Amino acid sequence: MTSSSSGGVFNPAYHDSETLEVDRRDKRSWTHHTNPYAGEDPAWWAERDDAEPGASSGGWRGGESFSMGLFSTSSGTNSWQHDANPHTPDSSSHYRSAAGLPSLMTGGMTMRWRGMAMRGMSMFPNADPTHAALAEDAIRSEVENEEQNLIKELIALSAGEQTRKIQELPQSFGEKKNIRRQVMAFKSSTNSHHFLCCTDCCRNMSLSFRRCGNGIKSARQTLKLWRGIMKEIGGRFGSSVLTYFLFLKWLLMFNIFSFLVNFGFITIPLLVHDLSANIPSNVSFRGLELLTGAGYFNYTVMYYGGYSNETLHGLVDYNMQLAYFFTIAVYMVLCGIVLIFSMASSFKKNYVLSDPASSRAWQLLCSWDFSLTNERAVRQRKNNLRVQLKESLSERAEKESITLSKELKQVGIHVGSWFLSTCLAVGCGASIFYLCQYGEEQAMDTAPWSLLQEAETLLVPFVVSLMNIVIPLFFSLFNKFERYSTHRRQIYALLIRNVLLRMSILGVLCYHWMNVVPQKYSCWEPMVGQALYRLVIIDFLFLMLGSFFGEFLSNVIGTKLQPRLGVPEFDVARNVLELVYAQTLAWIGIYFSPLLPAIQMLKFFILFYIKKVSLTRNCQPPRRSGRAAQMQTIFIFLLFFPFFVGALSIVAYTAWSLTPSEQCGPFQGLNNTFSVVSIWIHDLEAIPTSDWVVWIYQNVIRSELFYFLLTLIIIAIIYIFWQLTQGRKELINLLRQRIINVSLF
Amino acid sequence: MGTTASQLGKADLSEYQELTFLTKQEILLAHKRFTELLPKEEKNSTNARVPMTKILTLPELKSNPFKERICLVFSTTNPNDGSFSFDDFLDFLSAFSDSATLEIKSHYAFRIFDFDNDGTLSCGDLEKLVDCLTYESEDSRLTTEEMRQLITNILEESDIDKDGTVNLSEFQHVISRSPDFVSSFKIVL
Repeated sequence: MTSSSSGGVFNPAYHDSETLEVDRRDKRSWTHHTNPYAGEDPAWWAERDDAEPGASSGGWRGGESFSMGLFSTSSGTNSWQHDANPHTPDSSSHYRSAAGLPSLMTGGMTMRWRGMAMRGMSMFPNADPTHAALAEDAIRSEVENEEQNLIKELIALSAGEQTRKIQELPQSFGEKKNIRRQVMAFKSSTNSHHFLCCTDCCRNMSLSFRRCGNGIKSARQTLKLWRGIMKEIGGRFGSSVLTYFLFLKWLLMFNIFSFLVNFGFITIPLLVHDLSANIPSNVSFRGLELLTGAGYFNYTVMYYGGYSNETLHGLVDYNMQLAYFFTIAVYMVLCGIVLIFSMASSFKKNYVLSDPASSRAWQLLCSWDFSLTNERAVRQRKNNLRVQLKESLSERAEKESITLSKELKQVGIHVGSWFLSTCLAVGCGASIFYLCQYGEEQAMDTAPWSLLQEAETLLVPFVVSLMNIVIPLFFSLFNKFERYSTHRRQIYALLIRNVLLRMSILGVLCYHWMNVVPQKYSCWEPMVGQALYRLVIIDFLFLMLGSFFGEFLSNVIGTKLQPRLGVPEFDVARNVLELVYAQTLAWIGIYFSPLLPAIQMLKFFILFYIKKVSLTRNCQPPRRSGRAAQMQTIFIFLLFFPFFVGALSIVAYTAWSLTPSEQCGPFQGLNNTFSVVSIWIHDLEAIPTSDWVVWIYQNVIRSELFYFLLTLIIIAIIYIFWQLTQGRKELINLLRQRIINVSLF
Repeated sequence: MGTTASQLGKADLSEYQELTFLTKQEILLAHKRFTELLPKEEKNSTNARVPMTKILTLPELKSNPFKERICLVFSTTNPNDGSFSFDDFLDFLSAFSDSATLEIKSHYAFRIFDFDNDGTLSCGDLEKLVDCLTYESEDSRLTTEEMRQLITNILEESDIDKDGTVNLSEFQHVISRSPDFVSSFKIVL
């Protein structure tokens, strides 16, 4: 305990911080150290030494008074440990993070720098002013020595590594330049000794590769869409609102890609082959098609029905069936892979590394947005931060004061609202089901519909969109009555209820499309495509209306009529969920209407501007900040888990189990879409050079044994990784114990 | 844009690219913005410095509560007056750029928060930090008691070796677990 009360006089920081360093192998390097402000003149250190005693003596922040306050909360021998537990392993997750983030662990070097910094810092405050001059010399030689070591270390690395390492040095530009120059000089001198053409060549190659990489990087920067707008939004509303716009942009890119793929591989070949669409003479463009997607559009390449099953004979034979099947399949697989990777990386970055129960105060302080440039936003942010800090203080004090009866009441309210919201979701699903049945009775399978009939088809999408916009309001209302211990839990509850609603609606619709529509229509795929088109369009209209009524009106109400309500905030969670829903529609529709991504693209593009205008005109910066990064992970996860997986299984079910319509489309006359592949393989058998494809198909794709083995291997790998993490957890506990032991002495 | 490219030699540019986290476009833009801050007669000199008062007029920094600290940390003058040479300016942008590592960002954040430059975040530093982030006017300030409690909490959470201050490695330890830090410690020109 002596060390804790000695405050600024003796600083044991470096002593203990050694235990923090995972990498203790290169103990050798610990003998050399420099200070973190290596660029500054040593004379400056002497100046600081004078300032130091004053700094530690003033007020309550002096070591003694402070440590008393600190240890009174944790009196007793064992209590330190006990007390530390609630805000879970401070140190353990550090190790976890170190293990999970390779960039933190790149050799001993970054760690070493940190260690050196620590030593350097703690060395000087206790230096006696009279010895300052002596120390100065020592420091200088130390610094030089250290630099030499560093340069030696750098020389041993490859050129790319070198650049990265030098980039990562926390030093000023001049010093980095100096170090780089020395490394270069050393390299060139050694090179002149043994002239190897090969190494020179390699060097040049790697240099040009790096140049090329840099070129691509900067080209990407130029292409960055909406850079200025993003900066403006980030500057005014902070990073949590910005996540919505980044997500929107990401989805837009997704759709541009899928449009290019579909258009390039399915539509263009068909159009090149046969430009004239075979539109019956009694069908003309009436305008309502834009909303309903029926009528005229039904005969264009918009839908499945517009594509033929022929092999197009041009310069090369182009098999439409195969093209259609493989384009959709590859697109879905690519989407899945991209989603899994972005989900995994953001999960690793934002969840595994962070400790949910840790340092609320620090989290608030560290999440200050440096990108804020708006004076008013900064002021507001400061106010919000103060409120949140105060809350975090009172939260700690309040924790124990909940009685049993209150708790029971809380649980009752939770159960009630969960029950109500589930009922609402299920009720919506059921009503959509009956509505669909009613709509099906009205519609008929003969071609040109009257205008009224066409308009009637809008009923279902209209009701669906209306539900999507109204029911969440009820959910928010329930949320007002409930009391959650954290803001995050509240948002999660809201999200889960909304997801439940959308899933029940989409589930019913999909059931209808898969089971009722194929039986009724002779050409059923375009019918599903139309239904999806209508949903996408009406959803877009409602999104626009929603941002008008939701944000503009509540702004008017908040400023003019009921100042108590205040200017609305931008509800990131609700808006993101709307995007996720819209994207799911596009994914389901990709099989039935290959050009739906084009519509989706336009929709997102316009939506971006609408939301931006609505945001800047009507909304205020969010009152609660923080956790933006984790929310983003949740959004990507949501997009993947119920929604993408759902869409994928719908499309896969359609391709595997449903009989394609006999009258139209690329797969007419087949039992199911997938049989395209077996026909293709059958054709290939005739060609002797493609034996291997046939072999792969027979022995890998169609063999149960292969999948069985694959599953076994994956399970084994998962088990091994699981064991590894268990082992790491144990190691973390041991290391943590060691820190506690060390800090006690 | 063309004229600035010619002013910044190709060798210089590639060196800047090698030593910072910035791309070519960003460096050129930075150069443009930097020369705009210089008085006319100094526009062409290579090692001109922009005084701190001028730097603080940049819209990206103008309302930042840490603007003076940022200038002092990244400036390499002796004695430190917070003025920027172009190298310092790039250093600053590089540390705040998108591609800078957590290591670099947390290192500079620590130095920015270390108001008395003594190498650790003492109670005084923390107090100033909280003030910087919350202080608007006298009446809305945190009370002394609240501040005391807050700083006790902060130290309880992060001061592993119980010496009453937060040192660099303790700070980086805290930072590595707050995922919002990397995305919020960012300034783009």
